Amino acid sequence: MESLFIAMESTAIAEYLRISRWGYAAVNTAHILGIALLVGPILSFNLHILGLWRNIPRIILARVLLPVATTGLVLAVTAGSLLFSVRALEYSGIVFFQIKILLVVLGTLSALQLHRTYGLSLEGATEPRLKLHAILSTLCWLGALVCGRLIAFVE
Amino acid sequence: MKSHFSALAAIYLLLFSSIALAHHGWFWTTGGNIELTGEITSVRLGNPHGRLEVDVNGEIWTIEVGQPWRNKEAGLKDGDLAEGVEIRVIGEPAEDASEKRLKVERLYLGEGEYVLYPDRD
Repeated sequence: MESLFIAMESTAIAEYLRISRWGYAAVNTAHILGIALLVGPILSFNLHILGLWRNIPRIILARVLLPVATTGLVLAVTAGSLLFSVRALEYSGIVFFQIKILLVVLGTLSALQLHRTYGLSLEGATEPRLKLHAILSTLCWLGALVCGRLIAFVE
Repeated sequence: MKSHFSALAAIYLLLFSSIALAHHGWFWTTGGNIELTGEITSVRLGNPHGRLEVDVNGEIWTIEVGQPWRNKEAGLKDGDLAEGVEIRVIGEPAEDASEKRLKVERLYLGEGEYVLYPDRD
């Protein structure tokens, strides 16, 4: 694992980002945009499952929010990997970073599993199953957000 | 359901505010400058910020310098901050005195003065 992190740090893009002022700032911004596109829609969808905006059919929300969240995830992971590569060895040892990655993986897998089983609109899933997912998903993504922010404050 | 949401929000606010925040910006420092002189024993420059280890009379201090653009604007060249170089730094130490960590406002290499934060002090 360690040799992988060292290899990431010595890629040309990592070396560029380590010294570049605006390149680094741009990747940072892309990471934040990805998080916004990811977490906003997920929280909105979870709140709908938990009972808000009852008069809006779930499928309508799903059609908008799911693609936006997926785009956000791809952008956040791509930009995040680039930021990680700048100091891969150091970040990999930070406990908040480790928890964050775990929460991102859990949140992603739980969403994939749910939509694979019940489709885009989650028809056929029982209410308790959906509510449990919505609560866990909210905890995962807010937790990942908090842990991600804390990386900048502890290392 | 509203109570669910408030409970979640409360949990996260608590979690966030109860963890001591450190090292970002200046709020982990004392607010007053000290001066240290020693020999650089290790160098790690680059985004998000540069960091030196400096041997100050046998004590190893972690010395935080700027990002590459800030170091460059201060007049530092590649290779100026290197192992074995004698350095004098003025900046704010961590409030937790056991931490032996200082954020540099200005530094001196030989006769050369390099001001990283011209607007401070």
